[in-house]
Amino acid sequence: MDNTVPQKKLKFFGLNKLAPYVARHKVTFFSMVLAQLIAGAVSPVLALFQSYALDNFIAGNTLEGFTPFILTYMAFIAFITAVHYVSDRSCCKLEMVLLRDMRRTAFNHLQTLSVGYFNVTSVGKIHARVMSDTSNISSILAWDVNEGVFDAVYSLVAIVTMFILNPLLALCVLVIVPVVALVSVYFHRKLTRLNRRVREINSEIVGDFNEGITGVATSKTLAVEQKLDGAFRSRSDDMRVKSNRLGHYRSLFFSVINFSASVALALVLWYGGIITVDGVIMIGTLSVFMNYVQVLMDCVAWAVGAFADVVSIKVNVERFTALTESKSDVCDTSEVIEKYGDSFNEKRENWESIRGDIEFEDVSFKYPDGEEYVLEHFDLKVPKGTNVAIVGETGAGKSTLVNLVCRFFEPTSGRVLIDGKDARERSVQWLHANIGYVLQTPHLFSGTVRENLLYGKPDATEAELDEAVKSVNADKVIARMDKGYDSVVGEGGNTLSTGEKQLLSFARAILADPAIFVLDEATSSIDTLTEKLIQEAIDKLMKGRTSFVIAHRLSTIRSADVILVVDGGKIVERGTHEQLLKRRGVYFNLYLKQFREEQTKEITG
Amino acid sequence: MQNSTKRRTLSNAGTLTYLLKDSLLLFIISILASAAFTFFSTIIPQVVSFAINYVIGEKELPESFSWLAGLFGGLQFLKENMWLLAAMIAAIAVFAAISAYLRMYINTRATQSFMRRMRNKLFSHVQRLPLSWHTEHRTGDIIQRCTSDADTICNFVSNQLINLFRIVILIIFSLTFMFLMNVKLALIAAVFVPVFIISGYLFHRYARKHFQKCDENEGILSTLAQENFTGVRVVRAFGREKYERDKFEKQNVYYTGLWLKILNKMAVYWTLNNFIAAAQGMLMVVVGTVFCVQGRLSAGEFVAFITYNAMLMGPVRELGRIISNMSKAGVSLGRIAEILNAEEEDYGEEAALSGDIELKDVSFSYEDGKPVLKDVSVKIPQGTTLGIIGASGSGKSTLVQLLVKLMPLSGGDIIIGGKSFKDIPLATLRSNIGLVLQESYIYTRTVGENIAIAADGASQENIEGAARCACVDENIRGFANGYDTVVGERGVTLSGGQKQRVAIARTLMRKTPYIVFDDSLSAVDSETDFSIRANLKERNAGATTIIISHRITTVMHADNIIVLDGGKITERGTHAELLAAGGLYKRIYEVQLSLPDELKEEVRNG
Repeated sequence: MDNTVPQKKLKFFGLNKLAPYVARHKVTFFSMVLAQLIAGAVSPVLALFQSYALDNFIAGNTLEGFTPFILTYMAFIAFITAVHYVSDRSCCKLEMVLLRDMRRTAFNHLQTLSVGYFNVTSVGKIHARVMSDTSNISSILAWDVNEGVFDAVYSLVAIVTMFILNPLLALCVLVIVPVVALVSVYFHRKLTRLNRRVREINSEIVGDFNEGITGVATSKTLAVEQKLDGAFRSRSDDMRVKSNRLGHYRSLFFSVINFSASVALALVLWYGGIITVDGVIMIGTLSVFMNYVQVLMDCVAWAVGAFADVVSIKVNVERFTALTESKSDVCDTSEVIEKYGDSFNEKRENWESIRGDIEFEDVSFKYPDGEEYVLEHFDLKVPKGTNVAIVGETGAGKSTLVNLVCRFFEPTSGRVLIDGKDARERSVQWLHANIGYVLQTPHLFSGTVRENLLYGKPDATEAELDEAVKSVNADKVIARMDKGYDSVVGEGGNTLSTGEKQLLSFARAILADPAIFVLDEATSSIDTLTEKLIQEAIDKLMKGRTSFVIAHRLSTIRSADVILVVDGGKIVERGTHEQLLKRRGVYFNLYLKQFREEQTKEITG
Repeated sequence: MQNSTKRRTLSNAGTLTYLLKDSLLLFIISILASAAFTFFSTIIPQVVSFAINYVIGEKELPESFSWLAGLFGGLQFLKENMWLLAAMIAAIAVFAAISAYLRMYINTRATQSFMRRMRNKLFSHVQRLPLSWHTEHRTGDIIQRCTSDADTICNFVSNQLINLFRIVILIIFSLTFMFLMNVKLALIAAVFVPVFIISGYLFHRYARKHFQKCDENEGILSTLAQENFTGVRVVRAFGREKYERDKFEKQNVYYTGLWLKILNKMAVYWTLNNFIAAAQGMLMVVVGTVFCVQGRLSAGEFVAFITYNAMLMGPVRELGRIISNMSKAGVSLGRIAEILNAEEEDYGEEAALSGDIELKDVSFSYEDGKPVLKDVSVKIPQGTTLGIIGASGSGKSTLVQLLVKLMPLSGGDIIIGGKSFKDIPLATLRSNIGLVLQESYIYTRTVGENIAIAADGASQENIEGAARCACVDENIRGFANGYDTVVGERGVTLSGGQKQRVAIARTLMRKTPYIVFDDSLSAVDSETDFSIRANLKERNAGATTIIISHRITTVMHADNIIVLDGGKITERGTHAELLAAGGLYKRIYEVQLSLPDELKEEVRNG
């Protein structure tokens, strides 16, 4: 399950959930509907001009009243194009503003959700919800309503007109409609299923290309090119067979609808011919019928397709509303918000300054998607200025404590006290404003170096910026870039090396001057020089600050006031370096291994 | 028979012709079916017109139609049996439906054949391009070319190109019928054709630039969201939710504005277009009426004329857009042609290989002249093990990549079994040397299939045997579906150590006379490393082995060890000899078995 709200069955395909969004653009929506109502009602009349000409001027062999006829005709065309203009514009606008509003709502709501939500839901999925689900919904909503109103009114007027002109003949045509509708439903079911299968195979093919290209060195060394070719060919053949099937049904569908229109036409001609010979129907009427038949068939086929669309966006609506209705599991109480403000309206004037004492008091914790407690009745006092190092093998669950300190998650039971007060008694923003945070894989935003550095303190002066940058040795990184602070770092900062990104994120953290500092040390190989710079930066940052470091470097570990050793998700040992070494336990082995690796690295680079 | 074909450089048109080889005939049939469909659909209004004029109406039957009446036993007979005409329409409708079906279905078949040829060619070709080509191109870019550019070309051929032919045929048909009925009226209709095509082309060419800008800005918006979600911890930790909101809002509004601007222009364009089309329709009705009253046109012809006109104008209004979109396909075609024009590796014949390996003054430098290896000479007698140790960047990995011709030698020679390197075909080399890369790729399929991928007809026992030898059998049994667990990109992710061991098992399955481990035990702990090597010794006693490692314990039992430093061999000998020499090897050895100062004392004291 990837959302925190229990999935409710949505009524009306979830369309009622979209009502508030449409309501915000009533004028646009109603001018579109109104324009299409008029257009739908009036368009069938266009065919009548022809029949009028046939019945009056041509049959009567006279041009009397021809000028008023032309003028009316022209006025009519002008009117109907104007109406179409209004509906087109409104529809385009509606689509775009709905899209904009839904994306805004989703994005803004995501800003209020806890890190926990992002932990259980993959970024890809969240991204798809904000970007593509919304796009599907808005385009189907706008265009299907637009077309639907027109078609409904047009069909209605056409049918009524046909009945007025000749009820029996109209019946001939209408007999075909349910047949066409049934056929359309049958085909749509089939097409939807086949379409899904073809899309699946297609994504497998994309995956194969991905594999063939990223794995090329391995394939060459294993000499399996031919084998992979074979596997790919059979997938490729499968794609062809399934696509051909899809094409078969699609073609059949089109032909059947087309054929139905012709059959209706034949019926009209046959029956119409008979009664015309008997002198009941005018030739003009016959041509009107011919005109309506084709359009009606198209309308029916379209309606079935549109219905399928509406059914298909149900999934999009479900996903979208699941996102916008999910509750954050780290949530300030209304009293706290009252005093401290929420994420978009901070009441900084009420914020106390922080000392930096942290205490875990009987804290138990399990992850929302986990079964097992990773912390049980954990107590730890971290007075201001204490350095806590957390060590353990990769994947041992070292980030749990950090997650709790940062209030990315709340303890399942027990309390985390900040300066002696339960963290929940003050707002998340207050805490975050006082925490500096550096990730193992530092995250930079696309934009300039300056924008990234100022992320934690937008109002920093140039002097403060320079000082911060210098203090963590990031000035050397910046000096290497062609435009200094104004150099662009690219998407995710990917024009920089990991080490450089790390140094910049240290600068970003120190500029914010936090009382509490949280660091997830990098494990990836960084060249010796940068490594040294980083070490200096870390020492600088930790000095005088309460800090939690997920540590990999021996110097960081050795200098820590408390070392917590994590194994299998739980804290198994705690103490100072000397105490832990004496125990000859998990820490001892870890330390020895780490020591030898570092030594080797020093020699072999 | 992995031999490369003699290639010549293909132009865009040449590439298209090459790709169209299996499907051209089908496409032509589809166009013919399309013409047939058009023909049958245009006949129906003719029959209706005939019915209204001469059967229902009282017009005198002209010579040209008397054959039609004769077909049904005379006009009088028809008047009494109207169903005959209805049946005729139904019959034509059946033909129309069949041709409509064929037109679409054959087009699908043609498209699929075309696409399959392109896909298969691209896939096998890309795999056989040299590694240097792959390092010069970004992975994402190659994938994009093979998928979305391929789609663009396919869409161009099956939709745009075919539609173009279809529309042209439709125009010819409709206009011919119209001109046959009444030249003056037909001329009036025809005048509008170029108007629509040219204006459509110009507008869409203009609009495409704006669409591109919109797409780019949606990309920016998408990146903003992406970065916000991946960086959620940073955003939260710095409390920058409001800033993020405002940033997204700004781009969101800007992007929407861009669309609204171009959509408004589109709306104006379509309104004008609609207006002109409606006015054209009106002109037909008005002039047609006048002609009818003047007796220059019959009522039936009038109705048929209007029908043809409607049939003509729809596609004509599309034509401009189709033509303007064609330039997009040209770009994609160029990108695909570039891949297809790149030269494949020359695989040659696959044969057995055995004997000593001798490196003679092997050198390698990159194209920019940066030297990596210089005059490396070493002999590896058959059945012995060579250990290579050295700092990162010392050229260790390059050396083994040269050995399997993943990269070309810059100088010197490698002699295997007495044959000079240039006389050993690539296929022979790679099928006899099992190279385990440090970061081997794990394919998206089951673990069992991954292990067996390079061995033909491997039994489950063989697979499990190899896995046991590589010390990964137990891990695999721990998976939910054991050996049938799907791993790789779209399956279970293996840890670094598991990947390396699966890669080793995979190479063991090949039973090659030469095995090379390129630091492929780096993510495995020392004890497992030891067990794997012990197993190997037992299982592959006769194999000539090269082991590269940064761990002394991994290479220390080798028959001969070389130390690489800066692309040169600085020390060589057995473990004992190298320790005695007291160089870099000894220092690494000491460090790797050393204890930190604070522990030394304790250990000494017991």
